Amino acid sequence: MTTAIRRERNPQQDLINRRLPFVVAFLVMIAFALLVKISSYQWLSPEREREIKLRGEQNVSSTRRLPAERGIIYDRGGQPLAFNTIQYEIGVSPNLITSDRKQTVATQLAVILGLDEFDLYQKLSTPNSLWQQIARPVNAEVGQQVADEEMFGVIINPLSKRFYPQGLLAGQLIGFVIEDNDNTRGALGVEESYNAQLAGRVVNQEIINVPFQLPIDQPIKSQHGTDLVLTIDRDVQFWVEYELQRAVAESGSDGGTIIVMDPRSGDVLAMASTPLFDPNNFGDYRANDLKNAAISNVYEPGSTMKVLTVAGALQSGAITPQWTYNDQGVFSIGGIDVKNWDRQAHGVTDVSTALSQSLNVGMATIATEMGQERFYTAMRSFGFGQRTGIDLPGEEAGILRMPGDSDWSESNLATNSFGQGVSITPLQMITAVSAIANDGLMMQPRIVRQIVNGDTVTNAQPMAIGRPISAVVAKEVTTMMLRAVAEEGGGVPLAQVPGYTIAGKTGTAEIPSPTGYESGTSIASFIGFFPADDPQVIILVKLDRPDEYWGSVVAAPVFKTLAERLVILLGIPTDDIRRQLQASGGRVNER
Amino acid sequence: MNPMRVRHTFIRMNLRPRNQVVAVGLLGLMIVMIFAGVYLSQIASYATMSRQTDQLIEERDKLERSNELLRGEIAGLETIPRLLERAETLGFTPATSDDIRHLVVQGYNPNRARTVVPLDDETLGSQTAGYDETFSGWVQQQIDNLRRQFEGFGGSTP
Repeated sequence: MTTAIRRERNPQQDLINRRLPFVVAFLVMIAFALLVKISSYQWLSPEREREIKLRGEQNVSSTRRLPAERGIIYDRGGQPLAFNTIQYEIGVSPNLITSDRKQTVATQLAVILGLDEFDLYQKLSTPNSLWQQIARPVNAEVGQQVADEEMFGVIINPLSKRFYPQGLLAGQLIGFVIEDNDNTRGALGVEESYNAQLAGRVVNQEIINVPFQLPIDQPIKSQHGTDLVLTIDRDVQFWVEYELQRAVAESGSDGGTIIVMDPRSGDVLAMASTPLFDPNNFGDYRANDLKNAAISNVYEPGSTMKVLTVAGALQSGAITPQWTYNDQGVFSIGGIDVKNWDRQAHGVTDVSTALSQSLNVGMATIATEMGQERFYTAMRSFGFGQRTGIDLPGEEAGILRMPGDSDWSESNLATNSFGQGVSITPLQMITAVSAIANDGLMMQPRIVRQIVNGDTVTNAQPMAIGRPISAVVAKEVTTMMLRAVAEEGGGVPLAQVPGYTIAGKTGTAEIPSPTGYESGTSIASFIGFFPADDPQVIILVKLDRPDEYWGSVVAAPVFKTLAERLVILLGIPTDDIRRQLQASGGRVNER
Repeated sequence: MNPMRVRHTFIRMNLRPRNQVVAVGLLGLMIVMIFAGVYLSQIASYATMSRQTDQLIEERDKLERSNELLRGEIAGLETIPRLLERAETLGFTPATSDDIRHLVVQGYNPNRARTVVPLDDETLGSQTAGYDETFSGWVQQQIDNLRRQFEGFGGSTP
């Protein structure tokens, strides 16, 4: 007997059975769609591929921009002239600060930073904001106070701030730094001319956000900028600036410049022009006051040029040290009458007397003897009309009108010989006269002595830029300059330093104006080097429009005061001691 | 031969491949565990080193900041006007040429070249880091690390 078991149909099961194909079909479609989508990632355009890769990397890492630390600037003795200090930027991440903490954080920050509490609260309440700047820059003490509070959501970023610890000292030589967020740019001085080396390298550092993932192998190379050691001697620079300011004030001058240089190497030991400025607060000064007048302002040098005229004439063979002329007090050339400073006729005069007594007629006669070609060749060989190439920005080339130029006339030959009608910078003048002090070899003035990159020290080698005269001529002119110092001031040498032989020359130049020359005003100057037989230092003193007219009266005493200070600072023994030391085998005066 | 024993052997024959699989599996598991242990120990040491490095970096940054502040302070104290002021307070006056006395010592060169003792090759060699790690050394290092970690769990000291 068979028993048919008839199962009753379950309506719910039927419903499921009916719907199941649809569900399966739906899932298959979804799976297919996903499969298609996944497959599509295998054939991406390069741009899309890069974008996805970047998004992937951003999930595990982020990039932090590490600003470069600027190199330090030292003087030749290792004293820092410019370095970096730490300042802070304070910011907040509003989305990390809960509502109940906003008031507390705003109050704490307001107290420490001295800001308005309500403004801070508003910044903290900015919706959906990742970052709000609160203060920039704040000094290290304030930054540390904020850090000590350990407020979650308050972000403190260190900033590097350029600092010039010596204040006004050598501001024109160092320059300053313009800071723009993380970028810094040197302006003026070595900060500008060596900006590429000082600035260092900005580094983007990869930060891994996933625990246990090893950092990407990316050696972070030094981001520190190169350090510079200048030729400047801080102590010499200080006294130069001190004496310059004192001289300008006491002489009633509009301004002035002093340069101290080592003629053997071209090392600028000090260089200052008024007004001085503090690079820490460069924004407080007018743009014109930030210029380095020693290299960017031109002037007519006057009688200091005479030593170069004589040197050029001796070198060219136009005259000999025994050469004489008949000084009649007036020399007519190109429609003008050249007269001596004392309006006197000196009769038969030799070249040494013409130089020591600073006779314009004598110089005009010498220039005429030389002729245009030899005279201007000599002037060019001394570097006039061209930049010296010092490693500072803003150097002017000066103006030396040459025969053939539209504004040159025959009278220029005579006036140029005694330093009128020619415009030069103080640096050009001291560079040219250094050739006389350095046996005829003219060195390029320089301001950077060493470049220090980590353990690598690169010494900047002294570079000769010409030999305008021979060693013999240099000695002959030095002898004449010794006499010029000894005989100046009517036998009362105002530039003489006891115990030392000083070779020098005064200059009193008229100042050109649109209508001719200013009356009653002058540029008073003195250039000299010592010890005359083994020159270590050359100094140029220039004062603009002093109350007293003559360079011998105004500038020579400044030279003397400074020279007396420098022999102590630089350890230059008196001539007799030096000769004894040299005789016993010692090499003195080496730096 | 005991027929029961033979029967038992035949029955076990069916189980033998399964046992081998289990044994191989266990062996594999052990190897995986050893590698996992080495890996974890490695990761743990990386994490520890990373924490230490972070702390050192933080300390270095802090010291650098202190250095910067000190350098600024020292430079400020060493400016010439400050030094002059301090010297005057102490009763010093600027020297003049008359105050300077030079002594001539026969044969003495005040600017003689500085004497620098050259480093010999041996000294240089000992200071130069060299790569001398071997595979066996590295394995030994990992085992030592692992052992130290396990010893650390028990609170025992080696």
